[in-house]
Amino acid sequence: MNQMVVAPPPLPAAVSFSGDRGEFRRLVTRGALLELVTVGFYRFWLATDIRRHLWSNTDIGGYAAEYTGRGKELLLGFLFALAILVPIYLVYFLIGLEVERAKAFASLPLVLFFYLFGQFAIYRARRYRLTRTVWCGVRFWMSGSGWAYAARSALWGILVILTVGLMLPWREAALERYKMRHSYYGDLPGRFDGRGWEFFKRGWWLWLLGVLALALTVWAAARKVPAAPFLLMVAAPFVYGAFKAVEWRWWLSGIRFGDVWLESALSPTALIGLYWKVIGWMLLLMVLFSGYMFACLSLVAIVNQMPMAKLFMPGNLQANIPLIGLMAVGYLALILAMNVVVRMYLLRDVWARVVASTTVHNIEAAANVSAKGELANALGEGFADGLDVAGF
Amino acid sequence: MDSDPTHDAAPSTPRGSAIYFDGTSSRRHAVTLGLFSDRLEIKADGRTLAAWSYADIRRADSPSGTLRLTCLTAPALARLEIRDAAGAAELVSRCSRLDEDFPDRRGIARIVGWSIAAAVSIVGVIWFGVPLAADRLTPLVPQALERRLGAVADTQVRTLFGGKVCDNAAGQAAFTKLVNALREAAGLDTSIQTAVLATPVPNAFALPGGKVYLFNGLLARAQNPDEIAGILAHELGHLRHRDSTRNLIYNGGTSFLIGLLFGDITGSSALIFASRSIATASYSREAEQNADTFSIDVMHRLGRPTRPMGELLFRITGKEGDKGLSFLANHPLTEDRLARMSKEDAAPNGPPLLTAEEWKSLKSICDPGSKI
Repeated sequence: MNQMVVAPPPLPAAVSFSGDRGEFRRLVTRGALLELVTVGFYRFWLATDIRRHLWSNTDIGGYAAEYTGRGKELLLGFLFALAILVPIYLVYFLIGLEVERAKAFASLPLVLFFYLFGQFAIYRARRYRLTRTVWCGVRFWMSGSGWAYAARSALWGILVILTVGLMLPWREAALERYKMRHSYYGDLPGRFDGRGWEFFKRGWWLWLLGVLALALTVWAAARKVPAAPFLLMVAAPFVYGAFKAVEWRWWLSGIRFGDVWLESALSPTALIGLYWKVIGWMLLLMVLFSGYMFACLSLVAIVNQMPMAKLFMPGNLQANIPLIGLMAVGYLALILAMNVVVRMYLLRDVWARVVASTTVHNIEAAANVSAKGELANALGEGFADGLDVAGF
Repeated sequence: MDSDPTHDAAPSTPRGSAIYFDGTSSRRHAVTLGLFSDRLEIKADGRTLAAWSYADIRRADSPSGTLRLTCLTAPALARLEIRDAAGAAELVSRCSRLDEDFPDRRGIARIVGWSIAAAVSIVGVIWFGVPLAADRLTPLVPQALERRLGAVADTQVRTLFGGKVCDNAAGQAAFTKLVNALREAAGLDTSIQTAVLATPVPNAFALPGGKVYLFNGLLARAQNPDEIAGILAHELGHLRHRDSTRNLIYNGGTSFLIGLLFGDITGSSALIFASRSIATASYSREAEQNADTFSIDVMHRLGRPTRPMGELLFRITGKEGDKGLSFLANHPLTEDRLARMSKEDAAPNGPPLLTAEEWKSLKSICDPGSKI
């Protein structure tokens, strides 16, 4: 071999996603069915399987990531969260009773408390996921305080409300700075270099578009234009899809671990198609569901030898137990199919596109990092589940 | 690889190349593997970095085309990555317990089994446990708390139904007379409060803490004092049994448990609503039946007929049996109630509860200017 004379400049490492779409479809379809037979308890294992699939097929500089969390941990976290939330709900109920008696708006601080609790849960849930993320035999981990994060989130939230959403980029930047400042890969400290202003520069036109679409809809509705609601429905996937793409790109491009830095080239239009596909599937499923309902009604009408019109007379519809059973089956099938569609497009496909747009620079800086950091428990995930909040 | 196997008594020569992470740093070790009869040796530059017994080797998640292994006795994050298919296949054939930690069919069957057991147990608690708990807890709820609940419900009721209390003097006098007669016969103390609300809805109900509202709409459709007396006695029965508090505990308990059961399936609120309706309806039917029993007793004690109450109800709802599902109804069917009250009916042997004049005043309690 020839001796290399000039060392080539280090190439940025590509991030790629190699997950098989059919495999993921089978995973979420089976998961949806299992969720049905386990009356929802399978959700902990399904969430784990989805993450394992996404993580382990994400290749960063030649080495795939790994998710080491387990469904049982999520179940335990949920049960512990429940044990804490139940007394809180009870106290909440009693306090609410007392203050509502005194003054109608007096229970507002309690709503704020639950908002804070939700933000706390988001922070702790992210900590759980991060400590289960392994790359090259070293885990990521996180320190910091969930309550400090919740307080920041609430204060910035007030600013966002006061400025009708214009401060959103600065809020996201500040919160992400807090999260990344407390994130580590082994002994490599993380940081977030994205600035609110950058996000604002890329996204202000979306804010304007959203406001315009809303104003136009209100104006059209006031003039009784029949197509008024459709205007917003058509505009929303474009505006939201573009917003999410801009947000992903800005977020990824701001992430740093030591000297390693990320960059994303996601185009603003990259995700819009996925939202439209979801809408298309939803419409198709609705049509199928309506067809199924019609078939059930006809069947019941034939079996009972009753004309369709009579079936719709008050009382007849509710009193027909086989019909109710058939409708319940159809409804459950619809819900499960929708879950599969959403997970396919808005989870897997978004992930694949976002990952493919990303490059990692200076990855050699992470080539010899010492392992560090403790595993966090899944209590935060349990709270997030119990309070129905999500975040990353 | 052409490393030298001769000094080792291994049955198999070290072969294949792999990447090894020792679990203490992210440093990649390009290693060769020595496959011995009982263990795998991971070597680099002639040094043995680790020796893993086959029985302790487990599979870790990896993309297709890469075999990633870990070992129970090694640091938790030590990983071995093998990318050549032949080497991977040979190693896999030696590790008998490779996939033991992955949930297989049996593992999933166990999750399904336990979930169904949990669901059955929650349904059992809803069906037997919560009613029992509500019955036992209700007497323990202090009256003061109950009155507070009542005060909150009271403001809500008043906003919901316009909140105008009818109290012209003559009507109020007749109403007080009627209520006192019933109250004494029912054995309740003077702490209960009653009022007529000016709303056309034909209804009456009891609030926690001893408050009974009669709506003018019901009064307007009544034809004699015994009809109204039966209804009021029924509401006093709810107060006596503390049914609102019991219902609050019961509804809170079932909502919580059913919410827990269906958890996260999107769109489950419809399911939650449906199953809750079925569960609570039967409970509330029972409470209504008990209140009817109470009303019948009170009317017997006063020597007044019980049938009129049933007739008033029937006048308002009509026949209910062919509408809707009886297991979703939270009251017993009106025709069944009428039948029961007719069966319990006896010829009046007590004095009338109100004079004709008083009855007229009560009927017009909501007319602002009416004077005797």
